[in-house]
Amino acid sequence: MKQTTASMRRTSFAAGLAGALCCSLGLSACGVDQKGIVLLTDPSYRATMIGTSKDGFTMPDGILWRQGKLMLADEGGSAVRVWSHPHDVKTLCDAKLGIHSPEDLVVDGQGNLFFTDDDAGGVWEVDASGRAFQLAGRDKGLVSTEGIALAPNGAILVGDGVRHEVFSVSRAGVVSVFLGSRRGITKPESMAFDDEGNLYIADNVDQVIYMLGRDMKLDRLIQKRENFSPEGIWFANHVLYVTDSKHGKLSRFTPEAGLETIAVFGGQLSYICGITTDDQGRIYVSVQDLKHNFGRIVKLERI
Amino acid sequence: MSAFHRLPGKTKVPACLLGVFWQDFRATLRNLAHERTALVHPGIWLMSNLFILSIGSGAFARMTGINDALYELCNHLAGRSWLLDNLIALPLNNQFIKAAFLGGCFFAAWHGHQVDRNRRILLVSVLASVFVIATTKTLSYAIFSPRPFIQSQKAFHLEDNQLVESRRLPYRVPLDAESQKMYADLVKGDVVQNDLHSFPSDHAGFYVTLAVGILLASRALGWLAVSWTFLVLLGSRIITGRHSPLEVVVGAGIGIVMLLLFQFVFDKWWRRPMDLIVNWTLRHPAIATVLIFMVIFEASNSLQDVHPLLEIGSAAVKHMLHVTP
Repeated sequence: MKQTTASMRRTSFAAGLAGALCCSLGLSACGVDQKGIVLLTDPSYRATMIGTSKDGFTMPDGILWRQGKLMLADEGGSAVRVWSHPHDVKTLCDAKLGIHSPEDLVVDGQGNLFFTDDDAGGVWEVDASGRAFQLAGRDKGLVSTEGIALAPNGAILVGDGVRHEVFSVSRAGVVSVFLGSRRGITKPESMAFDDEGNLYIADNVDQVIYMLGRDMKLDRLIQKRENFSPEGIWFANHVLYVTDSKHGKLSRFTPEAGLETIAVFGGQLSYICGITTDDQGRIYVSVQDLKHNFGRIVKLERI
Repeated sequence: MSAFHRLPGKTKVPACLLGVFWQDFRATLRNLAHERTALVHPGIWLMSNLFILSIGSGAFARMTGINDALYELCNHLAGRSWLLDNLIALPLNNQFIKAAFLGGCFFAAWHGHQVDRNRRILLVSVLASVFVIATTKTLSYAIFSPRPFIQSQKAFHLEDNQLVESRRLPYRVPLDAESQKMYADLVKGDVVQNDLHSFPSDHAGFYVTLAVGILLASRALGWLAVSWTFLVLLGSRIITGRHSPLEVVVGAGIGIVMLLLFQFVFDKWWRRPMDLIVNWTLRHPAIATVLIFMVIFEASNSLQDVHPLLEIGSAAVKHMLHVTP
């Protein structure tokens, strides 16, 4: 009798598993699971996938459009790469250099690339000839570097999420405090200059975007908004673009219209990080799928 | 020639399985009604039911034309009359409409004839409903499927790592304040994450479990509860674009399958502990009524107050232990 009961339980368990498997197979095969969407709040855009991890990168964070190519701070792959076309990705430097999680990057007029690393710290450079090295490291106080921007005077500004400060780094690797912790910025996650020399700083811990004027006056430009957590910012054509990885939103800010959502990213596409634009005003965003360790680059262009 | 023989070849297998499912369902109902052990083997029973569920939902999804057409037909009622839309929207947010009727049916069955049998069935139904909501929540978390009203906007979805423009569903915005605000928020881009995971409907699973549980205990009250659940509670969710018919059908299917499974297991193997509880409720009717009222009150509110209560409880414990300042 006991044997019969045990056998029935085993059969029930196996049947349950088989049924659950059938259910999941049935649902996925029938397209109920849409996996991910880009919902366009501004219907004048259309979205296209231009690159995925299958092209040779892992999970990019900061991205930068330059001369028809995308520079990628491949956070998931511990590398900095250049994407030209699908299946045409070139690695500029990787973990062998000592980098862990490249976060954000900028390129100067001479083609020198500078990037931050929130795990390894420091500021790193890949010069125009392709030589990669650390410009300034943890020993100089750059513990967990996040946002990076090129000041009009040529200095490299770097935000530090542990020190709660913004540093200025010269081309010779000399580090000085640009904005001290007393200014109240908790995590300078991303930074961008506008055409007039104002510096925008996104803080995704306090959920604020600051604007630092040329007179060094720090204003809270966007704050105390529901469902707002700025991850990446980018300034182009008088518009400040903002990505929000927490809520999967891509927005734009202008003083006239305020903050407007362009698109909402959902499902496997919800974690949007880096943002850049090309000369035609097309928007590129990097998307990290942390669950599947998969990266994507999505382009939004006006129809 | 029978209707089955006239079916096209491809549809004979699903039709046959559907027949097995229906026979099992009826047998289970009959056995529960006569206080006898179910005759069907649980493995075959469970597998056929789950298989039917997956085949049924898959076929339905393939026929999204039907699903969309049904949804559009229901949503067509909205946006025409302020009064009608407000009446339809009542069960969405009004806890009295949502919970009181089902709770009343439950209590009537609890105190009705064949008290011990009914109470055993009802207690198992409440237990099953908790597992149903856990199952539907887990499934909906894993499956990405935006609510129909969200699919009215321009969107691109993932297909083989490419972005493909999605078919836009027509949507008539109901005229009640809540639906108007929800749509205005959507147009602004304020989308709640929960609105992107609507498959299957946890409301359907939960309320159908309770209603069918009442049906197993008392036929008259049960049909009232089932009718209320489908026509009022779930109908309003389809009309206002919160769920598609497919999401409701699959949610309800999960609820029915799990309820019958629980009833079978408790009837076959775990009858003794359940009888002990039932006997206790008969010996202590006052306190049992208070406890079951609390459980049913919260259950009929689809357990939405449990999470905030747990959060407050957890914060209070941390505060007392000085874990947080």
